[in-house]
Amino acid sequence: MRDNYHIMPILELQHLRKYFATQKAVDDISLTIEKGQIFGLLGPNGAGKTTLIRMITGIFYPDEGEIIFDGKKFDPLNDIAKIGYMPEERGLYKKMKIGEQTLYLAQLKGLSKAEATKKIKEWFIKFDMHSWWGKKVEDLSKGMQQKLQFVTTVLHNPKLIILDEPFSGLDPVNSNLIKEEIYNLAKNGATVIFSTHRMEQVEEICDHIVLVNKGQKILDGTVGNIKQDYKENLYKINFADKIMPEHLAIHLFEVVRKSDYEIIIKLDPGYSNNDVISYFINKGLHIQSFNEILPSLNEIFIKLVEGTPTARQFQEVKN
Amino acid sequence: MNKILLIIKREYLTRVRKRTFIISTILFPVLYLGLIFGTGYIASKSGTNLKVAVIDSSGYFDKGSIERENMKDSSSILTLVNNVNPDSLAANFKSMGYDGYVIIPARLNWEASEASKLTLFTSRTIGGEGYRPVQSKLNNIWNRIKNEKLGIDDTKKTILERNTIGISATNVNDKTADSGVATGIGYISGFLIYFILLLYGSQVMMGVMEEKTNRIAEVIVSSVKPFQLMLGKIIGIGMVALTQFLIWIAFIFIIYNVTSASGSDTGMMGGMVGGIQKVFTSMNISLILFCFIFYLLGGFFFYSSLYAAIGSAVNEDMREAQSLSFPITMLVIISIAMMSAAMKDPSGPLAVWGSIIPFSSPIIMMARIPFGVPETVPVWQLIASMVSLIVGFIFTTWFAGKIYRTGILMYGKKPTWKEMLKWAFRKN
Repeated sequence: MRDNYHIMPILELQHLRKYFATQKAVDDISLTIEKGQIFGLLGPNGAGKTTLIRMITGIFYPDEGEIIFDGKKFDPLNDIAKIGYMPEERGLYKKMKIGEQTLYLAQLKGLSKAEATKKIKEWFIKFDMHSWWGKKVEDLSKGMQQKLQFVTTVLHNPKLIILDEPFSGLDPVNSNLIKEEIYNLAKNGATVIFSTHRMEQVEEICDHIVLVNKGQKILDGTVGNIKQDYKENLYKINFADKIMPEHLAIHLFEVVRKSDYEIIIKLDPGYSNNDVISYFINKGLHIQSFNEILPSLNEIFIKLVEGTPTARQFQEVKN
Repeated sequence: MNKILLIIKREYLTRVRKRTFIISTILFPVLYLGLIFGTGYIASKSGTNLKVAVIDSSGYFDKGSIERENMKDSSSILTLVNNVNPDSLAANFKSMGYDGYVIIPARLNWEASEASKLTLFTSRTIGGEGYRPVQSKLNNIWNRIKNEKLGIDDTKKTILERNTIGISATNVNDKTADSGVATGIGYISGFLIYFILLLYGSQVMMGVMEEKTNRIAEVIVSSVKPFQLMLGKIIGIGMVALTQFLIWIAFIFIIYNVTSASGSDTGMMGGMVGGIQKVFTSMNISLILFCFIFYLLGGFFFYSSLYAAIGSAVNEDMREAQSLSFPITMLVIISIAMMSAAMKDPSGPLAVWGSIIPFSSPIIMMARIPFGVPETVPVWQLIASMVSLIVGFIFTTWFAGKIYRTGILMYGKKPTWKEMLKWAFRKN
């Protein structure tokens, strides 16, 4: 059940286009992001994600199309203060002291000095960074820098937070810390756009996803719905009894893989789960477990993106 | 607007607080003065005490007159050695303790109407500064001998030597300027602007490169417009240059006040101080100062925005930056070359056009102004120059802003000038 608060979209993109000299970076993309969502923006490298994000953050103007932010036409000059953006190509001034730098970035987002100082102290205590104030960025490890970068992104309480590959360079402990914070921010009403090509994180974190490739949207929906749409009617059944060849029918399903106590089947169209279960009950086999196999997002996306030669391949998921 | 101020403040404070700024601010005038005084000092000391043996075959030179000359100037010592055989002197002068020897031939004739050439034979190479004192000592003695022969006494001699006609050039339109001082101030101003343009222009370029290679550029342009970031950086660094310049001016005022109070007028220091005081009294200092600051900032904005555009286009490779910024650096260097020519004729066509065209005007106009406004530089020229510089830097800033906006977010291959022009003239 969704309350009113969630129904109003924070961001609507209507037929956005951005062409560069040699390529259609964003070619007619429309999408809607609701308040409080954690929204996954996915696509292989070069798909147009960054260009799309740069239009949402006011860095680029769209050639065509409309951006509606928080119910009104997007006004980069003013709305920029309500957005927090952590780009994939990110960094900080290496020689500048951390406290000063965070303060500077927060003031650029429109916070007053007093307000910013207070917020920074809160976040630094929360992330156990309070001893860093007088240090320089170059004295921090890469993971610590990423943590600091995240703090500078969300410090001004943005309504919309855009994180481009937020976990790259983070160890598992800090990854979890950031992940928890993303959940927290969404719970407190912020909307998070999460851009990545690491599918296992998307499945875990995102409510709703959009896949872009070659500047176009090729998939839009909740993680659950997309998996339902792309499922291949595969089921895994474990039995207490050994499976004999005479147990396996010719109609109803096709056996994909079989061992002594477990089979994976592909259900023929027109039949339901119940048909399978009652079939095996009739055969006198004891079912221990019955699971539908849903495709992983990774599998779906590889399938969708493959065969589009101009797009670069998905990078392998590395842990 | 508030955001630009924040950027200016950051750019300014991070630079002014750096140790290198403080050191270079103090060191530059110290080194500069050191160079002037140091070379003077070394020059005055390096007239090494030459010991020269003299064999006089003419019979004019005697021991007494040589001794008198040695008393007046001890930087070289002449010794009359008529008792030594010239051949053995030539062979042994070194072991006898002499640096060299001169043989005065018998044919030396006081009635001759042409100059006589003698040779100083030495065991090492001696430049003009080294042998000139020897020459002047011999000439002093020779002159005295000639005077005696001609019956010229000290009074007549004074008339001959002191009673001369001197000439100095004065522009009839010009009531104030001393052309020597004006040339000096003009050169110093032109070179100072040249120096600041190159030094601080490259600081802007490196500042932009730093933001790009640190990957902070995109973080910042999600808070401010790229143009604001560029402008903030340029203004911030411009203020640093101005601060440094004003500190130097303050130094000069302090020197002026201290020395005019003590009123010393002897020695090299006194000469310098005298020069400075002469400048203060004969020039319209407030006009020069105003124009200097105007052309300093105008020229800085004109060039530094172009340097910013280059910095945004390249990656971390310093060589890429240098090769791409070469045409711009070249413009500055051409200006300083034009200045030397323009100074010879400060109202000639090269000087006039050079001081109106914006790329060279900061240097050339600043070199001309000390010659006098409105005498050498008519008011219309000054106004035309200022207006065209303002229009010029507005154009370069706009132009650079377009390149910057694209370049700052572009990673990978170094663009060519042609590609950068495409960025500049692309709509949005």
